[in-house]
Amino acid sequence: MSAPVLEIRDLHLAFPLGRSLADLIARRPGRAVRALNGIDLDLRRGETLGIVGESGCGKSTLARAIVRLYRPSAGTVSFNGKDVFAAENRRDRTYNRRVQMMFQDPYSSLNPRMSCGQILTEALRVHKMRPATEIPARVAELLDLVRLPQDAAGKLPHEFSGGQRQRIAIARALAVEPEVLIADELVSALDVSVQAQVVNLLLELQERLGLTILFVAHDLRLVRHVSNRVAVIYLGRIVEIGDSESLFSAPLHPYSQALLSAAPSLDPADRGRGARLEGELPSPLNIPSGCPFHLRCPRATDICRETRPLLRPVAARGEVACHHAEEIALNG
Amino acid sequence: MTRDTILEVRNLSTTFTRAGRALPAVRDVSFTLGRGEVLGLVGESGSGKSVTLRSILGLSRHYGTVSGEVIWKGRDIAPLSERALRTVRGREIAMIFQEPMSSLNPLLTVGLQLTEVLKAHTALNRTERRKRAIEMLDHVGIPSAAARLDDYPHQFSGGMRQRVMIAIALAARPQLLLADEPTTALDVTIQAQILDLILGLAREYDMGVLLVTHDLGVVAQTCDRVAVMYGGRIVEEAPVTSLLSDPRHPYTMGLMRSVPEGVAPRTPLYSVPGTPPALDALPAGCAFAPRCPSASATCTATDPGLNRLAPGRTVACHHPVHMAKGDAA
Repeated sequence: MSAPVLEIRDLHLAFPLGRSLADLIARRPGRAVRALNGIDLDLRRGETLGIVGESGCGKSTLARAIVRLYRPSAGTVSFNGKDVFAAENRRDRTYNRRVQMMFQDPYSSLNPRMSCGQILTEALRVHKMRPATEIPARVAELLDLVRLPQDAAGKLPHEFSGGQRQRIAIARALAVEPEVLIADELVSALDVSVQAQVVNLLLELQERLGLTILFVAHDLRLVRHVSNRVAVIYLGRIVEIGDSESLFSAPLHPYSQALLSAAPSLDPADRGRGARLEGELPSPLNIPSGCPFHLRCPRATDICRETRPLLRPVAARGEVACHHAEEIALNG
Repeated sequence: MTRDTILEVRNLSTTFTRAGRALPAVRDVSFTLGRGEVLGLVGESGSGKSVTLRSILGLSRHYGTVSGEVIWKGRDIAPLSERALRTVRGREIAMIFQEPMSSLNPLLTVGLQLTEVLKAHTALNRTERRKRAIEMLDHVGIPSAAARLDDYPHQFSGGMRQRVMIAIALAARPQLLLADEPTTALDVTIQAQILDLILGLAREYDMGVLLVTHDLGVVAQTCDRVAVMYGGRIVEEAPVTSLLSDPRHPYTMGLMRSVPEGVAPRTPLYSVPGTPPALDALPAGCAFAPRCPSASATCTATDPGLNRLAPGRTVACHHPVHMAKGDAA
């Protein structure tokens, strides 16, 4: 096991809503959306760590907090041992360079009025990656790397297909020679046939350049395919984390079990199988006490309503935050 | 499997025009749907599946040219006037969309939007309408339905909004539901609930469902039959089990193989080379030929047209795939 590149410790992030009139009258403080509630996570060098969970669980917030788009309310993110939110490191641009983010929607992440060549050039210039004279050659190299034709440099984002636009996003991230890529629903908006092309490219580049990837996505099959390890997030907490194959083939947390069984199988013979999860994700404004999942959990008992389970190693199969995990590991 | 046909679409074509160029979105599409049957229309963006759905209810004709017949219970409804169509829309054939927020009126309460449908399509009086509205909300699984009648769409979550839309669509007890990617914007957990709901109601009311989706998993779990669309045409049609275990069109095959299932983790996925064709630059011959691994000179020259392989199975391909059973996916 190699040393972690990124160490996330007890990360909390709340978005304050401001005080409503009712709050003022009742002399209450304003409410807050508690998006992250104590995330502990190591990203190991060279691995792909998948993050899954329902919308609103905090997976994108986590990705954005890591690249410092949001400032956490508490907790630390350390990159190669240095706390990136500490006052003396906050303006450190090398961190921005070495941990690069790629977004789902290229229409809002690529400037529509800049050509593909200008987009790549800007990244190279801002981070002073190459002297001005070498930039055009490097742009050509990057286009090659993501298999875009050389004439792509002169075209605007709208002249590309969805898959090609994501290739530009990948090229821009790679332009600054990062160690870590954060992919937030990178291929979710693409058609399956095109999705496969982009995923293949990403895995190939990872191998070639020794990249570490945090892969946030709601497509469970895809996450299983690309990840070495996977973390399942529920209401801003990791409820289970472990080796991708073992987590997908035998999940231990009741929430992971329900989430995985909800993904529609390709075999019509599986109809009607799989437990259905009742209800919806509770509001992060009002997180249930005890185990945050107890309201929807088929196994909930008194202890679940009262005490919040901590993430702990279970049966050498990863870490699980559930009071009944040992029992589940034993009896399924 | 013999059900009486309630809908028959014959040679449906829809062409839009943009900047003087013709965009044939749907090209000569024909299919039938039985009472209580669930037919999936599958394809990638731009394949024409949504436009097909919209053309059935006359929603495309204001923006483009529609030709062909839409035989609903023995009568061609394609040439009907807007006024005449209104007796069909919502009453006999209802439609739900991907984005509940853009189909619900944000300024009106959910109760009002529900009772409005009942007012237009049923003879129920005011009290009965309110009662039916509560019944419908309850039926689609909205907790404390009576209390929520006076809530506005923004007060519901995404999954609940989709339920409201289904309640509105089904309020007048239609015989056919046109569903355009009804679960694409939802989480898998909620998707499973909504699909169960649609199927349950379809069974209960003996209602046909035409389900547009790009997700083969959804197809496997809900549809009786499937039609795969590419470049505005149906390229393959089959009962769901046959299609998924024994696809005949190379495109269907490609779609299935692109799904990361049964593939060793972190190994390259199969991908269909290239991208779907632009509608204003459809290739002559078979639209899939430029991306097809088994394309020949015939394919680029002549469009194959749908051929019958077996009862209920058609494929539009000069070189249909023959695959040993078991090595799908």
